Amino acid sequence: MSPNLARRDLLKLGGGALAASWVLAACGSSDSSSGSSSGGAADPKNVTYWAAFATPEGQKYFQQHFVDAFNKSQKNVSVKMDVKQLMTLGQLTNTAVAAGKGADVVYADGPSAALSFAKSSKTVALDEYATKYKWQDKLLPWAYDVSKVDGKLYSVPVGYGSLVLYYNPETFTKNGWKVPTTLAEFEKVCAEAKSKGMIPVGAGNSGYKAQTEWYLTCVLNAAVGPKALHEALTGARKWDDKVFVDAITLVKSWIDKGWWGGSADRYFTNTDTDMFTGLANGKVAMYMSGTWSFDSADTFFTDGKKWDWAPLPSLSDAVPAGVYPLAIGTTLSVNAKSEAPAAAAEFIDYMIADPSRMLGMLAATGTNPAPLKIDPSAYPAEVDERVARLYKAIPETKNLGYASWSFVPPKTDTYLYTEFDKVVTGGMSPADFCAGLQKAFAEELASGSVPKPFTPEA
Amino acid sequence: MIKTSARPPARRRRRVARGKLTAWLFIAPLLIVNVLVIAGPGLMSVYYSFTDWDGLDQADFVWFSNYTDLIGDPDFRRALLHNLLWTVFFLVVPMSMGLLGAFLLSRIRRGQLLFRVLFFIPYVIATVVSATVWRQILSPTSGIGPALSNLGIPLLDDVNFLGDGDIALGAVAFINNWQWWGFLVVIFLAAMQGIEPSLYEAARMDGAGAWREFWNITLPSIRPTFMFLSLMTVIWSFLVFDYVYILTQGGPAGSTDVLSTVMYRAAFSEQQAGYASAIGVMLALISAGTVCGYLYLRRRLRWDI
Repeated sequence: MSPNLARRDLLKLGGGALAASWVLAACGSSDSSSGSSSGGAADPKNVTYWAAFATPEGQKYFQQHFVDAFNKSQKNVSVKMDVKQLMTLGQLTNTAVAAGKGADVVYADGPSAALSFAKSSKTVALDEYATKYKWQDKLLPWAYDVSKVDGKLYSVPVGYGSLVLYYNPETFTKNGWKVPTTLAEFEKVCAEAKSKGMIPVGAGNSGYKAQTEWYLTCVLNAAVGPKALHEALTGARKWDDKVFVDAITLVKSWIDKGWWGGSADRYFTNTDTDMFTGLANGKVAMYMSGTWSFDSADTFFTDGKKWDWAPLPSLSDAVPAGVYPLAIGTTLSVNAKSEAPAAAAEFIDYMIADPSRMLGMLAATGTNPAPLKIDPSAYPAEVDERVARLYKAIPETKNLGYASWSFVPPKTDTYLYTEFDKVVTGGMSPADFCAGLQKAFAEELASGSVPKPFTPEA
Repeated sequence: MIKTSARPPARRRRRVARGKLTAWLFIAPLLIVNVLVIAGPGLMSVYYSFTDWDGLDQADFVWFSNYTDLIGDPDFRRALLHNLLWTVFFLVVPMSMGLLGAFLLSRIRRGQLLFRVLFFIPYVIATVVSATVWRQILSPTSGIGPALSNLGIPLLDDVNFLGDGDIALGAVAFINNWQWWGFLVVIFLAAMQGIEPSLYEAARMDGAGAWREFWNITLPSIRPTFMFLSLMTVIWSFLVFDYVYILTQGGPAGSTDVLSTVMYRAAFSEQQAGYASAIGVMLALISAGTVCGYLYLRRRLRWDI
């Protein structure tokens, strides 16, 4: 074979490797079919929106009652919704928006992600529309405040919930257990469940590594408390403070006892589905997870079985029982490249303008609603009692906490759920974990990437 | 002696030039595609590898900072080690299985097609499907371990193939090999079928057994195929991503991390696109180094491969 051909081989083979490994840049420059109206030829009154849904029923309901209904109510604006995979919507949006593409209405999986878009000028300030549509009057104050960046509103939260303790009342009755509210009661149930061959507390991150942040959000709020968390989030207290190290050490001790997910190695093969299945068949005693599972929990509990939830128990003498970590799972912003920003804002307003429309979706599908100021009497009778109980309890309580993906900046949050794996396996000590957490947070605090947390009342 | 058939030099040059132009016209579409989807993004990645780009905001030059960070990054070093282990595994296990399978198949006539199809089937199953099925098979709660236990064979009761950091990388490699080795069988078999039968006849007349036939006739005769697949195995071993990501996402605690999962996480979870680009450049350099070794064998040592 000639030397020239050999060089060509080199280029082809090296180029192939280069292409595969440089997917990042390729992604950033290739997403032109994503339906953005920023392409120049599109009608400026066409608004694109990328969305994802946990269930087909939820998607169908949203399409009919929000997208189609909005389009019917408008003469000059038309919304086109593109449905993506729930697990990848955030990543798809990040890549597209980074490349100056993406939908007009930009999805983010929480204020923390929305803040990244705002800081890089990928989304626009919405204050003009907030005034026009009176969003401050509609949204709960903490949700409105956390959506601001440098004093300007950049996103609108359209889905919020909390983290609670799921349990199977039948299992508790059968074993003579009381739903725990204190650390002592919690550990008593754990010890007894373990002795009976059950998994005391469901946990695992197989399939979705970020599940770890759900558990750590529960533990940090219930063991450290909203006050100390607020201090850490504002830089007044360091993340490697003893209270945080103690909380992580507490979880580690539960993992070592086989209380958390069954064992350290099972933690890495358990899925969310496994845990709900275990709750239903009495193999898992308790499961700390998010209220987004309200709309799917029934699928695991068949043949007359029922699930229920309770507020998180106190995991420390210093923290009152029943803390509700507040979690915003979906925020919407307006793409800086949008040619129809006013129309995009109008669609966002349509989603939150009428609380009865949002409550109708909650009743029909269990989908987490927007954090709107809603009178408890406004909840329709069709809303599941367990669901209504949560959304009536949150405005009434003063014991509100912070979900990591809503209030912790993005890199710190990623550190939280990736490095905790090392604590689970014993490869990293709780003190080292917290020291790393502090280092990651300090950098983001200095760069202004931390969402503004509300001041705790408890 | 005068060559009456010789063309005037100018005419010949024009003909050569026309031939070259035709060749360029043929290659142009592929060249344009390559420039757009490989060279362009590739050069952009090299550029971003010298910056602190987070994937969204403005990229500022940090020069070699990403590369010096790579050297000190224990996650990167461990992933690189895993890639090396992966390479050794795939150069030894599937290649051996592929060669053995092909050699045994080459010696039978009846049923050969059936076995070729059976061995090849895993290769045409979508990775996400086979990985998901294997995850179920190896599940410590509903997989092969509990199934055996129910039959009174508690052999795998406490084995968590994908959850135990000590064995997870081997388990993922085993699953990937399940899909891969049948493909090698088919490729090696095709190469073996091109070997002159008289060579085997002569060897048998000289009293050679099956092993000697394989070692002295089969292996040297398929050396070009063997070397090419070895080269590709090395390159693909450094680019491995799909099985690792679907089965473990690099866990538990990085025990199955390879360079591509570290790169993916840096780019899409940790908002360190510049750092991820540096890992990509390192991967490309490793692949280029492998190809250079291949060329050295061909050109300097005159290996017929």
